Amino acid sequence: MMKQNLLLYWGKKALVFLVSVMVLSVAVFYISRLAPGDPLMSYYGERTEKMSVEEKEAAREKLGLNDPIHVQYVRWLQNALKGDFGISYKYKQDVTEVIGSRIGNTLILGGIGFVLTFLGALGLGILCAWHEDKWPDQLLCKGGTLLSCIPEFWLSLVMILVFSVTLQWLPSSGAYDVGHKHDILNRAEHLILPLTVVVLEHLWYYAYMIRNKLLEETRADYVLLGKAKGLSKKKILLGHCLRNSLPSYISLMAISVPHVLGGTYIVEKVFSYPGIGTLSFESAQYHDYNLLMVLCMLTGIVVILGNLIGGIINERIDPRIKAAEVTETSEVTWD
Amino acid sequence: MPETLLDVEHLSHVFRLSKHAHIRAVDDVSFQLHRGEILGLVGESGSGKSTVARCLMNIYQPTAGVIRYQGVNILDRREFARNRKMLETRRQIIFQDSASSLNQRMKVADIIAEPMHIHHIKPPRGSLREEAAYQLKYVGMDASYLDQYPSELSGGQRQRVAIARALSMEPELLVADEPIASLDVSIQAQIVNLFKHCNQEHGFSILFIAHDLAMVEFLCHRVGVMYRGRMVELAPTAELFGDPRHAYTKALLSAIPYPDPVIQKNRPRVDFEELEFDREGAFTEVTPGHFVLQEDRR
Amino acid sequence: MEEILNIKNLSVNIHAPGGTVHAVRDVSFELYPGEVLAIVGESGCGKSMLCKAIMKLLPKSAKVEGGQIFANGVDITHYSQKDMEKLRGKLFSYVFQDPMTALNPTIPIGKQIGEAVLVHEPKLPKAQVYERVIELMELVGIQRPRERYHLYPYNFSGGMRQRSVMAIALASNPRILLADEPTTALDVTIQAQILDLLKKIQVQLGTATILVSHDLGVVASAADRVAIMYAGKIVEIGTAEEVYYDPRHPYTWGLMQSLPALNKGNAELKTIPGMPPTLVEPPVGDAFACRNQYALEIDYHQQPPMFRISDTHYAATWLLDPRAPKITPPIGGKRNA
Repeated sequence: MMKQNLLLYWGKKALVFLVSVMVLSVAVFYISRLAPGDPLMSYYGERTEKMSVEEKEAAREKLGLNDPIHVQYVRWLQNALKGDFGISYKYKQDVTEVIGSRIGNTLILGGIGFVLTFLGALGLGILCAWHEDKWPDQLLCKGGTLLSCIPEFWLSLVMILVFSVTLQWLPSSGAYDVGHKHDILNRAEHLILPLTVVVLEHLWYYAYMIRNKLLEETRADYVLLGKAKGLSKKKILLGHCLRNSLPSYISLMAISVPHVLGGTYIVEKVFSYPGIGTLSFESAQYHDYNLLMVLCMLTGIVVILGNLIGGIINERIDPRIKAAEVTETSEVTWD
Repeated sequence: MPETLLDVEHLSHVFRLSKHAHIRAVDDVSFQLHRGEILGLVGESGSGKSTVARCLMNIYQPTAGVIRYQGVNILDRREFARNRKMLETRRQIIFQDSASSLNQRMKVADIIAEPMHIHHIKPPRGSLREEAAYQLKYVGMDASYLDQYPSELSGGQRQRVAIARALSMEPELLVADEPIASLDVSIQAQIVNLFKHCNQEHGFSILFIAHDLAMVEFLCHRVGVMYRGRMVELAPTAELFGDPRHAYTKALLSAIPYPDPVIQKNRPRVDFEELEFDREGAFTEVTPGHFVLQEDRR
Repeated sequence: MEEILNIKNLSVNIHAPGGTVHAVRDVSFELYPGEVLAIVGESGCGKSMLCKAIMKLLPKSAKVEGGQIFANGVDITHYSQKDMEKLRGKLFSYVFQDPMTALNPTIPIGKQIGEAVLVHEPKLPKAQVYERVIELMELVGIQRPRERYHLYPYNFSGGMRQRSVMAIALASNPRILLADEPTTALDVTIQAQILDLLKKIQVQLGTATILVSHDLGVVASAADRVAIMYAGKIVEIGTAEEVYYDPRHPYTWGLMQSLPALNKGNAELKTIPGMPPTLVEPPVGDAFACRNQYALEIDYHQQPPMFRISDTHYAATWLLDPRAPKITPPIGGKRNA
């Protein structure tokens, strides 16, 4: 491809990204303000109830809540572009600071969860494809379907009940015990249960995907040729079929980042795990507009990026797509 | 001199693959099809023979050239619109893959009657169903197949249904695009006989596109050979097979395997190198009715 | 000569939802070193299944349910897939009908051939594998192999891909090559080149070949011996000369008669009426009886055995029984020229 085209290609992708983010910000801004409830509650807490009508009015004025929504949006946008996302009403801190203190926890939970899901699903998928229709495959297919039908919050509660309450092996909430902020072992202990739920919930779906993709590949003619030339089952499945399935699996995983992330949020809430998920929940509950806005944007950007990257991987990684155009002998003239 | 049914002049069709690549699928092709004749069109895959067929049927709008059907310029929008009904009923096409060209969810009777229904033609034999039964009988199948679905038929039977559907419009021109390519040898013979019958008994003119040269030799009155989008030779069948002039035609004919072990194993084969091909030559009449693409000796 | 492959009463059944298809029924033949045996028949006659059964490449639904396969005198009928891996590529190789899908689209051609070289010589150093691949590509007539080593299948035309598939098949010097309609998907001129290549390989390497085809022209150009298959059975087998010039089975007559090359000057092609039977419930007697104008009463009740015509020529038709009425074959008896 020529340089100019490359520029055009990436320019288009960037434009899609920017427009999506803009639309998202407008939507979130309007919807959050249209939701019933009083944002003063989050800023002043209990005090709001004791405030007079004039005091409330003054407070609203101060927070800029009386202006029409579009004026508020433009003001927010101007500040945001300068890097000022406002303060959190509830925490009385810069939004970025509040998020900064939490995001690490979510990245650890979501990131490890994602990697484990990705690798685990790959392994299970291969295992099932290898033993197609034999008992390990049957068992995993049926058990997995059952498992992914269980809602996340319910599974979380059961886990807490069994491992924390009854057996008392693992802590039921938080990211670490008081005073153990830098104790890796303590943190790991707190991670086990939420991580298990995140992985268990998503593992099967992707394992099933890779299993089916692999089995579809094993029906291809080149597999028969591979067998005919004496390749072992292992070489055919891993060297040929897996190789051909991986591109679509990777792009699927890129697209599914938000899916796994969404699951993390719910799990965080149930385990009171101090991450972005619980924060988002609180910010919506307390009408903490500035915080909610940034959290929604953050999540949205991850979703949009995931989709974009998935699409790009899909287009590029498979030589068949690049190639479709020309074979060696066709009567093609390039101008 | 027989009447010219179809007159193709300097037909070219270019496919754009992308912004920077195009393919000359059909390149300056001229020929005539006379009334009552079977004209064969042969060539390897990608030589442009199917594209020619599609241009003739107004499926593709060619990049350049003129196609006249009984004097009507079918590529001219206005002339086409004026003669639309005549053009859509008198010309019929049959495809190679009848499994996908017949609607799988329609019964045989409805498939055959559909064109009549679309063109609001009053069935000459009473009802649409009777008409379908008549056409089916003509192609050698009895009325018990009327209520079957294409998937219940064999490949040869499906091809017969496709032919029956085309015949229901009482066409003058049948364009058959590789109609026997996916059939078995003994079934191919049955279908080829059917085409021969349509032509001899009812005077249908047929453009028969195939890559099986032996069948073309048996069936067609004249044969055109295409290579890389160009027509390289066009002659009466006996002359083309007996006295091929173009190097590619010679190579092609020598490559047809002859079903006799002794003859076939001792037959010399002529090779044709792609690089020898001069696509810029002129299509010249060397003896009456025998056209050859000749090298440009400027 | 000692036969390299011996098939005895082989039967293959396909278990489909609509019933069991008896795809190959009681087939026996031998293959001798260095010869080309052609198996001719229409689609669905079981010729492909037969080849796949020999190499144990049958789809899951199909099973060998009777008979024996001897390779080099060893009974391999009950070999496991693991055992077969050691034989495939080395004892026998396969060339498929459709070269467009037989190669893995995401791996360069050279590497795919190299893989086949490594299967039976896993410790060969890289440089030697490369040289062997180049040698193989030259053998099958791929020009400028060093440039093309790194190309992907989509860069190749159909003929080139079929040459690549043959290079893969020949990588470990197999003693038997099973070529399943190797030229059907190709243009006539390319077909002729691939047939030349098959002959060259057979002469150069002495590989025994089973050539499966529906095209009597293709078979005439390559085969030493010919087996005609109909409805899952071999109905006639003999040397090419015997089958082409002195065919004995009515089905062989019908096939030959329908060829346009032998119908010059006729108003119509001769055809075989009707269609092959479905093999879910094969007919009791001769499967060809209902399409056979020479059918005898017994054809409807009892399957004909293989009658011996010469040491090399056999046919399964009751017409060869001494008690049968004498019929002048409508074809053969002379060279068609």
